[in-house]
Amino acid sequence: VRALLFLLTLAVAAPAAAQPVVTSPAPERVAITIYRDPERGLSSMNLEWLGGYALVSETRRVRLPPGESELRFEGVTAGLVPQSAIVTGLGPAVIEKNRDARLLSPGSLLAAHLGQRLTLRRTSLATGAMREQEAIVRSTAGGVVLQTADGIETLRCTGLAETVVADQVPVGLSAKPTLSVRVRSPGAIERDVTLSYITNNFDWQADYIADLAPDGRTLRLFGWLTLANGDDTALEQADTQAVAGKLNRERVWVDRGDAPPIQISCWPSGKTTDLPLDERGVPPPPPPPPPAPATMRSSESIVVTGSRIMAREERLGDVRLYRIPIAVTVAARSQKQVALLERPAVRVERKLRLRASPGELSQPLDRVLLTRNRSAEGLGLALPAGKVALFASHGGRRILIGEGRIHDYTIGEKVEIRVASAPGVRARQSEVPDRPGVYRLTVTNDLPTPEEVEVELPLEARGSGLKRGDGAMLWNVRVPANRSAELVYRVSDGG
Amino acid sequence: MRHPVLLCTVLLGAAPLTAQPAVPPPSQTAQGDVAVTIYNNNRALVEDRRQMNLPAGRSRQEFRDVSAQIEPQTVTLSGRGIGIVEQNFDFDLLSPQALMQSAVGQTVTIVRINPATGAETRERARILAANGGVVMQIGERIEVLRDDSLPTRVIFDTVPPSLRPRPTLSVTLDADGGGPRPVTLTYLTPGLGWAADYVALFDEANGRMDVQGWITLTNNSGTPYVNASTLLVAGAVGQSGPYRGDRYGGGYPPPPPPPPPPGYDGSLRRPGTETAPRERLGDFYLYPLPERTTIADRQTKQVSFLDVSNTPAARAYEFHNGWLSTADQAISASSVLRFSSARNAGLGDALPAGTVRVYQRDARGNPQFVGEHRIGHTPMGSDIGLATGQAFDVKVRPVVEERTRQSGERWRTRMRYTVTNAGPRPVTVDVVQSGLWGDTRIIDQSLRSERLSADAARWRVAVPANGEAVVTATFDTRH
Repeated sequence: VRALLFLLTLAVAAPAAAQPVVTSPAPERVAITIYRDPERGLSSMNLEWLGGYALVSETRRVRLPPGESELRFEGVTAGLVPQSAIVTGLGPAVIEKNRDARLLSPGSLLAAHLGQRLTLRRTSLATGAMREQEAIVRSTAGGVVLQTADGIETLRCTGLAETVVADQVPVGLSAKPTLSVRVRSPGAIERDVTLSYITNNFDWQADYIADLAPDGRTLRLFGWLTLANGDDTALEQADTQAVAGKLNRERVWVDRGDAPPIQISCWPSGKTTDLPLDERGVPPPPPPPPPAPATMRSSESIVVTGSRIMAREERLGDVRLYRIPIAVTVAARSQKQVALLERPAVRVERKLRLRASPGELSQPLDRVLLTRNRSAEGLGLALPAGKVALFASHGGRRILIGEGRIHDYTIGEKVEIRVASAPGVRARQSEVPDRPGVYRLTVTNDLPTPEEVEVELPLEARGSGLKRGDGAMLWNVRVPANRSAELVYRVSDGG
Repeated sequence: MRHPVLLCTVLLGAAPLTAQPAVPPPSQTAQGDVAVTIYNNNRALVEDRRQMNLPAGRSRQEFRDVSAQIEPQTVTLSGRGIGIVEQNFDFDLLSPQALMQSAVGQTVTIVRINPATGAETRERARILAANGGVVMQIGERIEVLRDDSLPTRVIFDTVPPSLRPRPTLSVTLDADGGGPRPVTLTYLTPGLGWAADYVALFDEANGRMDVQGWITLTNNSGTPYVNASTLLVAGAVGQSGPYRGDRYGGGYPPPPPPPPPPGYDGSLRRPGTETAPRERLGDFYLYPLPERTTIADRQTKQVSFLDVSNTPAARAYEFHNGWLSTADQAISASSVLRFSSARNAGLGDALPAGTVRVYQRDARGNPQFVGEHRIGHTPMGSDIGLATGQAFDVKVRPVVEERTRQSGERWRTRMRYTVTNAGPRPVTVDVVQSGLWGDTRIIDQSLRSERLSADAARWRVAVPANGEAVVTATFDTRH
């Protein structure tokens, strides 16, 4: 089908214009910078609906004749935002930049022939004989009306095998929306032109793999740069970058193109043999099929490159740019991973955490990993947002013991990752009888080890053992192995 | 797969033979000398000056190649020596169904095809009714059309003149003499709109910026405008057009998103008072396209209108905190690009509403996208602050440190704002605390604040490179 499309494009481009049309079929070199979906937050990428975007810069060698000509760019992505397209290298020769979204379809082919001649071809089902005659398209509004030598006829209301045949593609219809520039130059031009544009339907995220050392005090952190292309266009051997940080984006309306089908409708065609159901009118159309579940398709290829190639970080204004040091192919509809960073020994603190507010409560505590993004802790580099998978080894086997998410952490920040809930360390809280506003909180520990627990309470909480924290009162307690700890506190009204 | 292959061969065979221009030349369209004035709110005024050969006296003239979304009630027609008797906008469309309905009582030709031999038999039939099925009279027999499901052609003698393939504007004219003359048709139509798109290449180290401005116009009106003289008006005239719904079967794309609301414009920090060196009509700036152009249907067209290099620009950081909000983790400050549209040390032009896309060069010198923001119509001389994104390295952590009741309804709230900068250069962050309505007072603060309004106070916090700064403030409030 691809070859076919290509032929079609050729055919469309072939009719030479009053101003010559020069087609640039593909870029010589391409660079791509992928940006995260600013609205996605910490949820995972949906490969069927990527909300991020990319900046694509293509270098194309073009030869233009003297005078006016139209330069068409093919092989651009389908998600191109036409408002963002920039063509550099032609200087003041560019008169205007156009993006046309009238698409070739059966309906637009016929509609473009309104008032013009086509060939009506009828094939006899009895003998197989084909008969062709000229017809003028009189209307395509709600059915096709043709004028033939015999008179006025309609298409496909007859029960005959019939179709219309055009002898050329109408001007201005193309297989895909096309981007072009109109150029006027006194002499012929041959030079490299850069076309850059923003395109939708790309995304990326960091994916971290953390292996906890047996002592539970350090972990080995490895990060993947996972990028995804949801477009139909592959970017071959591209200089590839990813930008970490949240940039503002505006909504723009992009014409996806108009490809109407042929509308065939006929006059009322009731018969004496119709079933009563049909006499009541046309049955309602069947409900639309349910949307396909948004699962990852198994056909999507997941390319994992060797981790010897590692992305390089640089500052770009207020965000971070990660550059993949070799040219890679970002294939159409695919996900790709390249090593982002590696830290062999990151010091972490494991804590159990509870955020409590006055009221009845019975729930397990959260297991969190705490560290600081400093070189003293074995980190000290920008950490782009993404998922963290925490592994530990047990009897020589690697076991997943938690999964969490982080947002963008810059150097020096306190890093806090909630990785799991600890089912055996639970908190219960209830109001003490006859003492309104006074609560008893009990933390029970079923582990054979003492556990550090931090409970966050509202600023209004008062009680012995409570410390003031950042915007909250904290109860830090070490719950002995297989025992429990208890706190009684009062919620004051601030007075 | 049979059909696409067939189609493809046909196309390929045809391609080398033809030499069709990329757009229909003026002779192929009924349009004459077209002038289009496009407003920001998806609306345009089309003026079409056509040569018409009119007979003397009354005649009915149809106007083809007008906008498919024409607002017929806004049509005016003028010309030397003509008077308008009436204007009609006919939307009775020619379809097989309408054709059959209008053939009721008429005679048509029926051609039956023998399914075994392919032999044709012709008969004349009179259509009696077309309700749910077609009942016809052939000689003395009454039959239902294609009741036997056998192939049967129906050939109508004529198309009724009232049925047209598209909604058509027709005007009955009274001309004082015969002969060709220019006639000017003007009308309003939705489906044409425009906005500006700006490309700003920011050089942070030198505090400079290059800006290119593009006019982006879109045509979704269903009709091309051939070789049109085009004028863009920076403004919206009137409200959106009358409801048209799906009266003609729809098929038009949704209109582009509305321009930014004329009210609050976050990017405009101080409106300017200078007059730009541009054409003007009343309150609006006018942007004529430098040459005639064909605006094809479903086209997005961009033409350059602004190119300024080396204008001063600076990066600033802003952080807004709501009342009584504490953050668990530090929150990125907004990164704001500040520049001016003034004659001196600015872009030196009024800026029509649109989107500014900001680029910065990476370590290899390639421009990279660093965020975009919409601006409204901006007078010359304005100060502009574009929030392009969130700073990765500059963050603020607001914390409610203490909140105590003083007496009765008075409360004391102590806030701490920790501003951190992991970047290699010192920065200044504007920390704004809002929600200070009523008689809120700041009774103690570690840095002098500026009260922007009754509702908000601002601290300009200088943060060293790779360092942090802490501001504390105690508020006395009623609640």
